[in-house]
Amino acid sequence: MAGICCGVVGESGETSSSSIEPTSRPSARRSLDLLPLRYIAADVSVPAPENSRKRQKLDRCVSSARECENAVQSSKSKVAKAVRNRSSKILTLDSTSPTVYEGCLRYGVTSVCGRRRDMEDAVSVRPSFCQENLSQDDKKEFHFFAVFDGHGCSHVATMCKERLHEIVKEEIHKAKENLEWESTMKKCFARMDEEVLRWSQNNETPNCRCELQTPHCDAVGSTAVVAVVTPEKIIVANCGDSRAVLCRNKVAVPLSDDHKPDRPDELLRIQAAGGRVIYWDRPRVLGVLAMSRAIGDNYLKPYVISEPEVTVTERSDKDECLILGSDGLWDTVQNDTACKVVRMCLNAQKPASPVKEMAVDCSDKSCSDASILLTKLALVRQSSDNVSVVVVDLWRDQSMATTKGIN
Amino acid sequence: MSPNNPSTIVSDAVARHHTHVVSPHQCCSAVVQEIAAPVSTVWSVVRRFDNPQAYKHFVKSCHVILGDGDVGTLREVRVISGLPAAVSTERLDVLDDERHVIGFSMVGGDHRLSNYRSVTILHPRSATDTVVVESYVVDVPAGNTTEDTRVFVDTILRCNLQSLAKFAENLTNKLHQR
Repeated sequence: MAGICCGVVGESGETSSSSIEPTSRPSARRSLDLLPLRYIAADVSVPAPENSRKRQKLDRCVSSARECENAVQSSKSKVAKAVRNRSSKILTLDSTSPTVYEGCLRYGVTSVCGRRRDMEDAVSVRPSFCQENLSQDDKKEFHFFAVFDGHGCSHVATMCKERLHEIVKEEIHKAKENLEWESTMKKCFARMDEEVLRWSQNNETPNCRCELQTPHCDAVGSTAVVAVVTPEKIIVANCGDSRAVLCRNKVAVPLSDDHKPDRPDELLRIQAAGGRVIYWDRPRVLGVLAMSRAIGDNYLKPYVISEPEVTVTERSDKDECLILGSDGLWDTVQNDTACKVVRMCLNAQKPASPVKEMAVDCSDKSCSDASILLTKLALVRQSSDNVSVVVVDLWRDQSMATTKGIN
Repeated sequence: MSPNNPSTIVSDAVARHHTHVVSPHQCCSAVVQEIAAPVSTVWSVVRRFDNPQAYKHFVKSCHVILGDGDVGTLREVRVISGLPAAVSTERLDVLDDERHVIGFSMVGGDHRLSNYRSVTILHPRSATDTVVVESYVVDVPAGNTTEDTRVFVDTILRCNLQSLAKFAENLTNKLHQR
């Protein structure tokens, strides 16, 4: 793992004042105790994939967000029995096991408070959240990954975490065979924004236990970058300045474009709506908000809209990984650097033996290690915001899909 | 300056509070809000210098650091995230319960609003309606225009007064239901 750190520092051409230590779990925990930063174990809920699962009750409060701890929590993907060593051609499938979820992607999540006083990010990972049943034997599994960077307070980001995947699932089922991703995702974001608005207009006692005591929280909002991964496509819907980046054949391919108020087309849209972008400490809508699109922020409509920009990318054998992150990551880590870090983590964690269990653990751990390393890199480079990172390993899943095709 | 709202009858004594001395490199403006609530209800919210977060959406928390609510009281206001400021230290300059006038100035913090002074006056338009006028004067920050500054501050004040209206109207409705 030392090679990873050397490679990153060398390629960036910087001499970091503090070394980036290897991210094996024991040493990572030890080194984090030395850091004067406060971390928060983000409540990343990853329920078991289950179509008939009862809808989760909406929890409008992230109580854990108020308690910062010196700990980084990473979430590992469900262990898939099917494992393939990168250098090996042998595919092992234990088809008799009832717990096998074919097509379950491997991923890692890290979400930390960082230098900010409050944690307002949220991450939602819903593997196999939606299935398209074409026939008895052919089931397409859809996977949902999202990062929400809240501002003003955390409850809009929390609502998005709890509800947006359910809205997406409903709209996918409604569309049936006429699924058109761009219009579907735009409808989902509009519905999410409406739910936030209805909640803020509700005169009942607010459930949010944050310091804001008023239920009229017009000045709260969140970014939303969502990736739906299907066997054939990667659909990204983005609203705000979080970002999704695909690593394909060693090259960073942005799947979203940050909604900053001074982006030329966003500037024109805002001015056409009668608004203004004022450079206060940076470009801000009416001098107030540093992004041009967001869920919520009702007081700034129609200048700040919740309509996402949607990209649909065909998957390829050359796809290596997908990275979702909040601007706490991307403000200090470039797309290319992030891809290099993740690729090194994914390649470095090769199993010491061909034993299945060992291989599974290593491949899951590599995604978590990658997300932790990216987070630490952002913090070392003086990121001053919450940092949330999702890393999805696309390589193995594609191989499985290809192999299934052959069969 | 005086607000040109024909529905507002401003006495000379009250209008004097809206007369700001505006220097070069400063700008001034005023925001007006009508509220369907009695002036006593609105005033009970506005006069709480120690509790601006009751209706100001951009205030996350507030701590009085000097004084007990009378003129001269200092408070430290923490602002919600996402805005171009984190802390503002503010001094209570005017508190007139008879004429429903409150005024404060920003004396510190990490915002760019130097020498900000504002006055808020409540005018009873009827037994159940109140007109709130908040006027201010502030330095124009280096690199920005007068228009920039006015748009920014007016946006904040308009949002504050709109939420004050909702809050006071809710309060009035609850009182009636009892």
